[in-house]
Amino acid sequence: MLKAIKPKMSVVAAFLAVPVIWYIFSVFVPLAAALFYSFFEWKGGPDKTFTGIANYVKLIHDGTFWQAFGHNIFIVVVCIVGQVGIAFILVLMVNSRLTRLKGMHRTFGFFPSTISAVYIGLIWTMIFDYKRGIINYILIQTGHKDLTQVWLNNPALVLPFVSIPLVWQFIGYYMVILLSAIAAVDNEIFEVAELDGANAFQRAIYIVLPLIKNMLMVCITLCVAGNMKVFDHIYTMTEGGPGTASMVMALYGYKVSFEQSNMGYGSTISVAIFVVSLIVIQGSRKLVEFSMRNKGVE
Amino acid sequence: MSAQTIKMTKVKSAKTPLQKFGTGVAAVLINAVLMIFSISCIFPLVWMFYSSLKLKRQFNADIIGFPKSPTFENYIRVLTNKDYHLTSSMVNSVRVTVISLFFIVLFGFVIGYILARVPFKLNRFLYVLFLMGLLIPVHSLLVPIYVVFNAAGMSNQWYTLIIPYVAFGLPIAVFLVEGFIKAIPVELEEAAAIDGSSFTHTMFNIILPVSRPILTTVAIIQSFSCWNEFSFALVLCSRNVKLQTVPLAMTNFKGQFASDYPKIMAGMLVTMVPIVLLYFIFSKKIIEGMVAGAVKG
Repeated sequence: MLKAIKPKMSVVAAFLAVPVIWYIFSVFVPLAAALFYSFFEWKGGPDKTFTGIANYVKLIHDGTFWQAFGHNIFIVVVCIVGQVGIAFILVLMVNSRLTRLKGMHRTFGFFPSTISAVYIGLIWTMIFDYKRGIINYILIQTGHKDLTQVWLNNPALVLPFVSIPLVWQFIGYYMVILLSAIAAVDNEIFEVAELDGANAFQRAIYIVLPLIKNMLMVCITLCVAGNMKVFDHIYTMTEGGPGTASMVMALYGYKVSFEQSNMGYGSTISVAIFVVSLIVIQGSRKLVEFSMRNKGVE
Repeated sequence: MSAQTIKMTKVKSAKTPLQKFGTGVAAVLINAVLMIFSISCIFPLVWMFYSSLKLKRQFNADIIGFPKSPTFENYIRVLTNKDYHLTSSMVNSVRVTVISLFFIVLFGFVIGYILARVPFKLNRFLYVLFLMGLLIPVHSLLVPIYVVFNAAGMSNQWYTLIIPYVAFGLPIAVFLVEGFIKAIPVELEEAAAIDGSSFTHTMFNIILPVSRPILTTVAIIQSFSCWNEFSFALVLCSRNVKLQTVPLAMTNFKGQFASDYPKIMAGMLVTMVPIVLLYFIFSKKIIEGMVAGAVKG
């Protein structure tokens, strides 16, 4: 803090006024509006009727919303295992003395995470396509024509299949983050361990893992927050279908509000998304912190 | 002692032919797995490029082969047909991204600086207010922001998207700048004040140049998130075709030509050019910036 200099408060206020109002208008005013309209029956027009907590009662019994919430959790879990897990294994490999072209793996691996989710969705729609998709092409070429199907149209498979692009897009992202954590560790540690006769598996579990555990936890919290808000990928690939088999919370809120133009209930869903996401994200953060503290005492 | 260690090392690292063979196999395996991973990340780009040089019929006959008679037909159609709105969407995306970046960096710097340096009553309150922006699940604002913007008559305007993009970019910018400026010695400003530099002059002419590294990081992170953003563009700007940003225009384009894959690929590649070029030219800086932003945020 400055002590010798005392800027005029009017100058400070002038600097802060516009951005703070701008920020409050786009973040807190909508939140307040959602809370307000969540108590109304409102189709977006000039007429609205106050219905008290009717929307919230409806929400609690709304199977589709809770199904969508379950899908969000499913995707979060798949992505923690897929993105952070695979990234960790790749990190061990990239970090190996035997690896060539490390820079290329970083640059190429990170690339998908810089592309718009819409493009990722479009690319994978083409890969999953029935007639012109690569998956079915490979199956036919290897003589498994009977296994081909419309992948994104199978209610039992659609959720794992829309998760594949999500996992694929961010493996490199987490790989690079974890690599940056390892780069901060003195290389001698790995060399000494190798000299002491620790094999690759032992080195991974007993040396690399503890050293980058904090960063792994950061990755997991990033992963949870990132996947609770998943929308773009699924909107482009399936729009939540077939039926509601790949519906996620944000997409359900969008559909109720704009396709059924039920803005009142849409606002209620928005409030619910806010609360539920906050609980899951903060909960996972607390869980991670707690588990780290426990290990620290040992 | 040291001589002994070296000797020990030598004994340990001397390998039997069998061990050498094992290391060789491991090396091949590790490099092969990483190579497959890297190629999988870049393959869609390559596949889309050479496929976009085919016509629809050729592509449907053979989806994976190289084009026998490459043609730029798809590119010519994508770029010249005004009804596709792809070129205009790129102009929109550039405009929205550049203006948003300008405000995020400017506001982020000013707020971050003031919160780090000027003691006043609301200082910590404002800090928490912006910190909350990092915690709020942004996707829950999707519907409400439409309601507010619609009521204010602010949706489907040329400036519409800039407002939420700046607001959503500010928390991370403020957070990063505040942390960076706290590490700069106060003596720098005190010396400037003794020389007669005003508060505003010091902030912009002395501290701003020093903060360049962190402002670059902020700009890198935000340029990607503004350029790639889709959901808010969808609810706020989809009524006016002329205002569509690239991701929005691409979803419509896909809807129109669902079966003409080479044309869709050409459209995607054309609209990807700015971000792909930017990435491969500055990849090292971009990766550094994104990692720093992700980890500190």
